[in-house]
Amino acid sequence: MMAMLPENMKSKLSWDSVQSEFGSTESIFVAFGKKNENIFNQKALSHLWELTNALQKIDEVEKVTSISSIPKIESADGFLEIVPLQPKSELSESQIDNIVKYLNDNSSIKKRSVSRNDNYFNVLVKPTDNIPHNILRDAVVQVGDSLLSKNYEIHYGGTAYITGSVPGMIKKDISMLLFIGLALMSIVLLFNIRNLFAVGMIFSIIIQSLLVMSGMMGWITHFTGSENFYFTIINSSMPIILLTIANSDGVHFVTKFFKEMRKTGDAHQSVSEAMDTLLIPIFLTSITTIAAFLALYFAPIKQLMGYGICLSIGILYAFILSLTFLPAALSLKKWELKSLAISRASFTENLMKAFGQVVVSKPKNILLIGFVTMLIGIAGLNKLVVDVNIANFFKEDTEFRNSIDFIDEQMTGTMDIRVRVEGNLKDPLALYEIEKIQTLLEKNSSVTTSFSIADALKQMHRILMDDDPEFDVIPEEKQKVSNLLLMYSMSGDYDDLSSMVDYNYNTGLITALSSVMSTDQIISFVKEIEYFVSKLKEVKNVSVTGMAVVIRDLIFLVIESSVLSISFSMLIICVITSLFFRSLTWGFLSIVPLAAAVLINFGFMGISGIYLSHVTALLSSVIIGVGVDFSIHYIYQYKRLSKEASSDKISKNVINEVGYPIILDSVSNMSFGALLFSSFIPVQYVGGLMVFAMFSTSFGTLTLLASIVHLLKKNKLIGSKIS
Amino acid sequence: MRVIFFFCLFSIIYSQSGLEIAKLINERSIPISMSSKISMTLTNSKNKTRKSVMISKSTNRNKYQLIWVLEPKSDRGMSFLKKEHSDQNHEMRIWLPAYNKIRRINANRMSDSFMGSDLSYEDMTSRSLSENNYFRLEDEIIEGVSYYVLKVIPKAEFRNSYGMHKIWVSKEDLYIVKENSFDKKNKLKKMKTFFYTKIENYFVVSKIFVNDIQKNHTTNLNIENIKVDSDIDSDLFQEKSLKRIPSY
Repeated sequence: MMAMLPENMKSKLSWDSVQSEFGSTESIFVAFGKKNENIFNQKALSHLWELTNALQKIDEVEKVTSISSIPKIESADGFLEIVPLQPKSELSESQIDNIVKYLNDNSSIKKRSVSRNDNYFNVLVKPTDNIPHNILRDAVVQVGDSLLSKNYEIHYGGTAYITGSVPGMIKKDISMLLFIGLALMSIVLLFNIRNLFAVGMIFSIIIQSLLVMSGMMGWITHFTGSENFYFTIINSSMPIILLTIANSDGVHFVTKFFKEMRKTGDAHQSVSEAMDTLLIPIFLTSITTIAAFLALYFAPIKQLMGYGICLSIGILYAFILSLTFLPAALSLKKWELKSLAISRASFTENLMKAFGQVVVSKPKNILLIGFVTMLIGIAGLNKLVVDVNIANFFKEDTEFRNSIDFIDEQMTGTMDIRVRVEGNLKDPLALYEIEKIQTLLEKNSSVTTSFSIADALKQMHRILMDDDPEFDVIPEEKQKVSNLLLMYSMSGDYDDLSSMVDYNYNTGLITALSSVMSTDQIISFVKEIEYFVSKLKEVKNVSVTGMAVVIRDLIFLVIESSVLSISFSMLIICVITSLFFRSLTWGFLSIVPLAAAVLINFGFMGISGIYLSHVTALLSSVIIGVGVDFSIHYIYQYKRLSKEASSDKISKNVINEVGYPIILDSVSNMSFGALLFSSFIPVQYVGGLMVFAMFSTSFGTLTLLASIVHLLKKNKLIGSKIS
Repeated sequence: MRVIFFFCLFSIIYSQSGLEIAKLINERSIPISMSSKISMTLTNSKNKTRKSVMISKSTNRNKYQLIWVLEPKSDRGMSFLKKEHSDQNHEMRIWLPAYNKIRRINANRMSDSFMGSDLSYEDMTSRSLSENNYFRLEDEIIEGVSYYVLKVIPKAEFRNSYGMHKIWVSKEDLYIVKENSFDKKNKLKKMKTFFYTKIENYFVVSKIFVNDIQKNHTTNLNIENIKVDSDIDSDLFQEKSLKRIPSY
């Protein structure tokens, strides 16, 4: 997620400075215990000791915080002394009672160490800087499972665990579903084209393009070292998009080839005719799609730059193969003229002939239906909900979601909010303001706990004053604060306070842990915090960051990127087609189905309650990538056939010509509806929306565009000469 | 004649054991009393620093010492008293002015840090010959200077937080120039380097650099305005003196 944020974004800058000053704030929680059984017993504490030491030995781990490792501040001769809370592995009953008492006296520490009902211990694993979370996650889970799985329930959580687990899980899930999608696609193509060799050639183009795209991604990453070219969750839709576009080129060529074969029976002549008819539209669809994806270079989410460039390379390669490799393969094959593929038109092809008749006979009705559908889509846009919270990616009652829910319900929660403050943090006035910020944070019902240097000082002050609860306050004098900190530094470790205050006591970090919040809650909560801290006087340069804030900023970026890329892509497509057809009207017409499909899809998402996230937002790329192809094929054939037929028959002939490949392309791409069976909710949405997008773009072209062009032509508002 | 004398001395020294060299170190001439101003710079793993300024007075060959903190302002007035006894436990006390409290440092807290530095109270006390075993290692020549190298192992019956020390002693004037201290698992814990300056007839420490390898933290002590054998009354080294910063 962090890689998606622009370098100069405020929350990203705050995040980076927090990571550099206070170490990584992304952690893994390991909770273990047994339901309805008190965890404070000799055996469990011994296992906790063993787990803490084993985790500490992992190279990727910087610090492990648990009852076995946290320091205990106690009073000795009226002074502070820092000793281990758990002095050794094997404890006596009285030592266990002491630990329980200390935790009960210090609720903030207890909340971070034990579950709400004392049934589970919690271990916080902090990674070393710049360690890939998947490596950390694997190492922690391996240690945790090997030591605890026989005796306890184990739950893992925390942002580092989620971000470390998700990419691998998605990769596995999508790989399987893509395979199913491809299998379904091949069945659809075989059923309609009815020739194994031709379908094999289409698949060959798809696979070669995918290999080139993935390979180029690797080489570019190798040579530039840029994170923009990493394959992340945002790139998971790339194979599907390229697949649909490469499939489109192949389907158009192959269907045209068989149509010509039925007429001439000569493979060379059929290939030649298909080349004549499709060279320009395939070139044009490729160039517009490439331009649309290259427009992602300007998207605020920088990873979309790599996304656009690599996808463009794949599209270019698919274009080259469609007009070199595919015609060559088709012309070299010895064709059996009596074969079903050549001798008879398919069911879908015949159906499109009838469909063309309907469009031509009732263009106004079709146009009306199109507009009404678009209006419903526009109305649905208001209901569109943005949510990029990764915890909501998982279905309820799955193992992974249960773990996240467990950490939310029983422990401190998965999300974090960090408030970085500057000032003289030995000054009680600054510390009072930190306390006020914490009070505000803890007012939110989702926040489970918060901690800062103010808490540590209150605890030290109380313990120094004979553990009198009356002194559980920030000392009222600067020198007392300073004396407390110096006393702590005498017997404590420098690092004990390093997650809350910097070495010079000039920068502090307030941490609030919370259960999962909805995106709306996050936005309003962060706004409230930012307003509150803007009024503070003693602490300066206050910045709010943490996963919750990152999610908020990502939401705005997702919306901005989507709107920008859609608008810019349409503009580019309109300009290119206007230049090519030497008419602004044709340029506008080329983006009509596209615009309609985008409105209807996002409106449908709003109506059906599908969240707009950084994954589903990329569906607009699929719509643009495929939708523009359909309209360009339609317009080009319309202009080409207008030379050969009277104006009454043009539309019907065009639908006869391009309707079949468009529908076949669309239906075969609908095979990726297999993604509906994914374990990940956004991927399910992509699967469902893919089917919807294919339907809306193909039918948008064959109804809305066809009827508009037909009516404009009928009223002599457009010409049809081809340049 | 002089050649014969040095030859004899060389032969005697060469054959000396670790313990004998340690005795020679302890017997070398050091000031009876001393006062100085100490600037201490602590640096953490992120290269952030904390600075403080202290004044120190000692007597009885550094067995009695008082240190008062002048800076930072927020810690001004904090002070430290040390009295080493040969027949009983050492006395150590700290005065916290803001809380009006004097803390006695127990023998079991000798490994605690002095003012948050990398020096422990244990590091600040003289090393008793009877509480350690001394082993002579192979001599070393570093940058043209010859050193005795000793391994010092604390005896098990005495409380100590270290497992072993390795010290480098200048052959020429018997001053410790370097000391590496190892924890009880024999892992290198601290590297201490000592620098000397000649004042009157003594070589006194003018700078100490300590690097805590395990914590990646350093302490740099610069000792300035050193006055030796000035008239410092032994009565000064009492608890009540902790509460009053002397004029300097």
